[in-house]
Amino acid sequence: MNLSALGGILATVLGLIYTTQALMLPKASIGNPIAPKIFPIGIGILLILFGLILSFSEIKNTGLKKKDIEKDKNENIKLITYTSLACILYGLIFNRLGYVISTIIFLEIILLLFNGKEKIKTNTIVSICFSVIIYFLFSRFLGVTLPAMPFL
Amino acid sequence: MDVLAYLLKGFSVALQPINLMWVTLGGILGTIVGMLPGLGPATGVAVLLPMTFTMGPEAALITMCGVYYGAMFGGSRSSILINTPGDGAALAATFDGYPMAQQGRAESALAMSAIASFIGGILSTIVMVFVAQPVAKFALKFGPAEYFMLMVFALSATASMTKGNLTKGFISMLIGLMISTVGIDAQSGISRFTFGILELQTGIDFLVVIIAVYALGEVFKSFKMIKEGKKKMQTKFGKIWITKEEWKRSKWPILRSAPLGFFIGALPGAGGTMASLMAYNNEKQLSKHPEEFGKGAIEGLAAPESANNAASVGALIPMLTLGVPGSGTTAVMMGALLMLGLQPGPMLFQQHPKLAWGLIASMFVGNMILAIVNIPLAGLLVRVLAIPPKILYPIVLGLAFVGTYAISNSVIDFYLLVIFGVMGYFMSKAKIPTAPLILAIIVGNSMEQSFRQAITISDGDYSIFFGSKVSIVLLILTIVSVVYPFVKERIKGKKNIVSAN
Repeated sequence: MNLSALGGILATVLGLIYTTQALMLPKASIGNPIAPKIFPIGIGILLILFGLILSFSEIKNTGLKKKDIEKDKNENIKLITYTSLACILYGLIFNRLGYVISTIIFLEIILLLFNGKEKIKTNTIVSICFSVIIYFLFSRFLGVTLPAMPFL
Repeated sequence: MDVLAYLLKGFSVALQPINLMWVTLGGILGTIVGMLPGLGPATGVAVLLPMTFTMGPEAALITMCGVYYGAMFGGSRSSILINTPGDGAALAATFDGYPMAQQGRAESALAMSAIASFIGGILSTIVMVFVAQPVAKFALKFGPAEYFMLMVFALSATASMTKGNLTKGFISMLIGLMISTVGIDAQSGISRFTFGILELQTGIDFLVVIIAVYALGEVFKSFKMIKEGKKKMQTKFGKIWITKEEWKRSKWPILRSAPLGFFIGALPGAGGTMASLMAYNNEKQLSKHPEEFGKGAIEGLAAPESANNAASVGALIPMLTLGVPGSGTTAVMMGALLMLGLQPGPMLFQQHPKLAWGLIASMFVGNMILAIVNIPLAGLLVRVLAIPPKILYPIVLGLAFVGTYAISNSVIDFYLLVIFGVMGYFMSKAKIPTAPLILAIIVGNSMEQSFRQAITISDGDYSIFFGSKVSIVLLILTIVSVVYPFVKERIKGKKNIVSAN
């Protein structure tokens, strides 16, 4: 797949969605009623334009396929997907389990992905140390309140 | 009060023991983050910013200055030792720095890179002392229309000058502007593009996007490298210093490259990468023995290092005096200032002279501390590079998340982090530059406000944007910046044809 062409197409679609959303914005009750819309509509239309230019020039020059082929692409995408899922899980448990526990779980998963399960001992030490140190550093010294553990 | 008096006052703040401690700490942490491949000053500042949340504005600024410089110094450490630049600006340091390390001259290379960075940084800070206020004074005359045109120029220059093609640069910029319009419109109170999500009403914090693109996106990009593990590197060093002969060879290249770097850095969109590459080519052409370049010529390391640090100072000028950052990294620095409640721009020097000059003074101090930290402690600090990236990068991810939470106290931003991180990854895969995106997110809001103010002043007449000399000059500059890459390509093409004949 030609990623540049795909980027152009996605940009065009984004531009279209954004512009229609901008057109549907309610009118302002104070001042010029269309004032909040002009700027967004302008950039929306420009994005559609540039998106179209990119898609057409890419399709004309290189075609939709070939290019950007990588061997390890699948593995990479898999890792990215797992990491993203871990991040979402982190968001879901963050407030419920508190900073320390949720971070240990999150880092354990990430380290499992990066470092492998053979090194589970190192992984665990790293995740626990990081979570505890950061928790105390932020909540005690930097004054940032992080969610505490539920039973402490 | 005149410049020097302000500067002295700035020094009296920056030299307080507690602030010296902060700048040292910031510098060391910045050096460490800067050393990690792929993570440059932008990521360093973004990830380490939460550290400063409870400090007073002065201490916070000084710490961030330390981080910024530290990351600049650190970027070239990994270029020299493992042939992997910490960020784009450190790329030129691989050309001769790595060959030097392979020849067993790592000590000289590390010392020279720190010395050249130090001199480049100090020289350009001196220039800055004299340039900053006149520029700010000039910019005070700008009305909203001029401001709008200035931002249009800065953005389009960045979009067209960052590598990759012009269309991609503009797409990146426009997406950034779109992101900046999310949230409640300050003038009319209408929610725009929030899709009914309460947390989006306050808008998408640019720091979240920065952390996502620079930290998460970089980790995604580096998966392959991380999995492969570390490259072998030297961990035992002799005395880290240079010989007299090496200094003689590098003296002039360093001094020549500093003004060059400063000037290029001050141009919007150009930045450290371009400055260091130009300095390198420059010295190669001037050299009596250009054949040594790329094989461990010390001046080939000294020149780009000096230019790179000088550029990082030059880049602060448009950001501090006009409120328009010229590169991704300065955009992040501007984000840091905004976070501290300071609005960079012409008014900064009038309303907060103490802070503005304190910042400049701490640039001097930061540079000195960094040179002190980086020469004798280089051998110790680079051990970070010997820790496997498989462990380091997850820690960076952990820091990215805790930093994000510290900014907004909301886990909604975790999901945004993932979305923009993935977006950053695909942008880099499709070779769409990310710097215009970051820049646009930061200036987007004030750009729209100036646009609307100008329209209100002129009562709906769009000719106000071409109504003054300043606006017309800016318009011409914008057109030149957009057309220039095409002209350059043409000339290049013609040259190729000529040389082929």
